[in-house]
Amino acid sequence: MHALIIDDSRAMRSILRRIVTELGFETAEAGHGQEALDHLEGGLTPAICLIDWNMPVMDGYTFVQKVRERPEWRDITLMMVTTESEHGQIVRALAAGAHEYVIKPFTPDAITDKLEMLGLVRNGVPA
Amino acid sequence: MSTAAPTLDDVRSLTEEVWASFLGEAEPLLPGAGGPTGGWSAAITVTGGWEGMVTVELTDRVAAAVTQQMLGMAEDEVASDEDVADAVGELVNMVGGNVKSLMPGPSTLSLPVVAVGRVARPSDAVEACRVEASWLGEPVVVSVHVFGAAAA
Repeated sequence: MHALIIDDSRAMRSILRRIVTELGFETAEAGHGQEALDHLEGGLTPAICLIDWNMPVMDGYTFVQKVRERPEWRDITLMMVTTESEHGQIVRALAAGAHEYVIKPFTPDAITDKLEMLGLVRNGVPA
Repeated sequence: MSTAAPTLDDVRSLTEEVWASFLGEAEPLLPGAGGPTGGWSAAITVTGGWEGMVTVELTDRVAAAVTQQMLGMAEDEVASDEDVADAVGELVNMVGGNVKSLMPGPSTLSLPVVAVGRVARPSDAVEACRVEASWLGEPVVVSVHVFGAAAA
């Protein structure tokens, strides 16, 4: 089971990679939304994308919109992981098709709990 | 546009939260006095309902340790300048994003700007709030600047 980590910060991608790898996911990474779309176009079929909001080239919100335009990607779970915590932004992201929303800073347990809620992790391993 | 400023306690609290989440394994962030000279700094700006800038200033040693922790590097591994800039930028992104959430919106957060030495500030930026802390025995400073207004 793959997780696609989309964040312009290599440090943040590293933090998230360590968390989801420990849960048993294989990972792929992208530095912005367009690079993530390229991964999907190239045939990667992640179970989940963890998506930052503010990124160069293509932001996370636009990425969510683009993914949701494509029926063949409807099974991909989308989770925003971002510092954007204004209520309006959260509502926009969820309305655009994100399933979950995690605000930075977060703990590993917060990510694990969300993945369990989404049914992607059970008893500490991918479901 | 609001010219309000976040409280010192709020900024200290969210800075400590960021540290505890990603950097607390080595040592907690402690109260400190004074600021680093030289080293690294990073800034992020907020525009919209509230307009201001959040800056983080770190010594070289603290910046390197932040990078090692965030990237999961071994203690003897040397971080490149590119890695340090990335990690320090993400640090100010998290602090700045949380400051933004305290202030009237809607607002937009810029991408971070990172510099060796002191990052430039607009001439109308007034320091409204300054958290002086210590990590690994060295100073860390987080400041919030408000644009176009005298700080309360």
